Amino acid sequence: MSQVNPAVLSAPQQKISAHEDGLLRKLWNNPKSRYSMLILLMVIAVGIAGPWFAPHDPTKPYYEALLAEPSAEHLLGTDSIGRDVFSRLLHGTRVTLMVAVMAVSITFITGTFIGVTSAFVGGVVDSVLMRIMDILLAIPNIIMAMAIVAILGPSLTNAMIAVGIAGIPKYARLTRGSTLGVKSSGYVEASRAMGTSQARILLFQIMPNIMSTLLVYTTLQIGIAILDTAALSFIGLGAQPPTPEWGTMLSEGKEYITDAWWLATFPGLSISIVVFSVNILGDALRDILDPKSN
Amino acid sequence: MKQYILQRLASGLIVLLGISIFSFALIHLIPGDPIRIMLGENATAEQVHALREQLGLNQPLVTQYFQYIAGVLQGDLGTSFKTGRPVLSEILERFPATVKLAPSGMFLAICIGITMGVLAARFKDTFIDFSAMSIATLGVSVPSFWLGILLIMLFTVKLGWLPIAGGTGFRDLILPAVTLGVLASTVISRLTRAGMVEVLSFDYIRTARAKGLGERAVLFVHAFRNAMIPVVTIIGLQIASLLGGTVIIERVFDWPGLGSLAISSIASRDFPLVQGIILFIGVIFVLVNMLVDIVYSLIDPRIEVGQTKEGTS
Repeated sequence: MSQVNPAVLSAPQQKISAHEDGLLRKLWNNPKSRYSMLILLMVIAVGIAGPWFAPHDPTKPYYEALLAEPSAEHLLGTDSIGRDVFSRLLHGTRVTLMVAVMAVSITFITGTFIGVTSAFVGGVVDSVLMRIMDILLAIPNIIMAMAIVAILGPSLTNAMIAVGIAGIPKYARLTRGSTLGVKSSGYVEASRAMGTSQARILLFQIMPNIMSTLLVYTTLQIGIAILDTAALSFIGLGAQPPTPEWGTMLSEGKEYITDAWWLATFPGLSISIVVFSVNILGDALRDILDPKSN
Repeated sequence: MKQYILQRLASGLIVLLGISIFSFALIHLIPGDPIRIMLGENATAEQVHALREQLGLNQPLVTQYFQYIAGVLQGDLGTSFKTGRPVLSEILERFPATVKLAPSGMFLAICIGITMGVLAARFKDTFIDFSAMSIATLGVSVPSFWLGILLIMLFTVKLGWLPIAGGTGFRDLILPAVTLGVLASTVISRLTRAGMVEVLSFDYIRTARAKGLGERAVLFVHAFRNAMIPVVTIIGLQIASLLGGTVIIERVFDWPGLGSLAISSIASRDFPLVQGIILFIGVIFVLVNMLVDIVYSLIDPRIEVGQTKEGTS
């Protein structure tokens, strides 16, 4: 780094990279994020390796053990056609994680694109895009997702796409807000005055500086995506039987609420643990990256 | 003030227009032929032709849109494909049940949220604060439908205090309203806490304490009213998530409202009904929000157009 000339330019970047170097350490030093990360790492491990450890085939019915209570043979009991709940939960972990990653990727990529474009281009493009986002925001998230499933047809993939799209308007608005903030800051104006190209400003100044806000929001969005997809599956518009998906399992469990408490209890508990950890991690990230906003 | 209200009405109108386009476009966004999807594979060419004619799908898009809007303005939202009844009467038949549920949930949410928020702020950094905020985080992490099922297990199956799902009386309302209320209270309690913590650090609170006012008077007369301003805004915005939450919760409790109608119409691919419900919910949401904003501007004259727009972002 030369000393005189790009001092203004490199200052925020250096700050950011120093930030990122310390991020994992900071996350580790914060008890909230440490425990939530440990739980999530365990969940991811289960998502990857769970199916190998599953004691039974998640779709195989054991007709001699219908609605069997939790026992040594079936750790968390069996469902109405005798499938092993524990094995289904293990397989469901992978489904849930994949759905969350895919849905949030859709939200993140499209939302960031719309938000940054809106803020960066400004003018008519900005007004039109934000008006469209306002309109979409007027429809509750889950109903928006339901409308999209209505268009595409009920399936797990479509539920995932729907949840991803439904998250876009809020995300785009947020990205636009933080981009505008960075865009009007001193160092961007300084580098614009020095003749830096728009593309460079966008890639090397705006993007790195909005990343911390986006990281917080993306983390929280993972929780929302998991809940919404499970909700869609619960009302029959997402994963279809016999897919071992947590929301679908809950919906099946609801039918046997008087006879088999374990059917609805464990899938709900699994969803709650994962989403709770994600939300705690999101909160901790916000405390660390963006102390002002709290 | 008058100008603010006019501007708010105008922007609401634009959003309404957009929602009408969205609900209209729904049927045209379906990949493949919507008629084929609705009628199934075995439909004859005549049936397909007749339905296409009936829905007006063989006309230019713009004509279709204006016909749709003209119909909507006269209260004609089309005909349900499954029951053959007007969409509007299907919706209006289910709407009262939702109207009973959603505001009850909102009322509980406000009670729970504000109590927890004030307690957490008053006892900041103590165990009470920690528990209240953990419950708030738990509230956004636990699926509403699971909470509902757990409540049924406890109060209906185990204790037998409340009836099993199906009715719409007061005793049937308790569990769904509580589920909804707990769900929506989390944002309110967080905001109340944040607002109270901020206000309690101001000089006039110190003055109030210094002149010997009781803690209760300080909290409720001086701090609370000023801390409530952001909370009132968010309560307006919460209506959207509440309407959304109602959909799922209606399913859990077999509550015969708009939500269950929406779910069954999507499952049976009854597109005119789906369109009607989306439009209906969108319109209600926009009207409620417009009302909240206007009432709010009357309460707090500092509000201007630009501010509320940022507030919703």
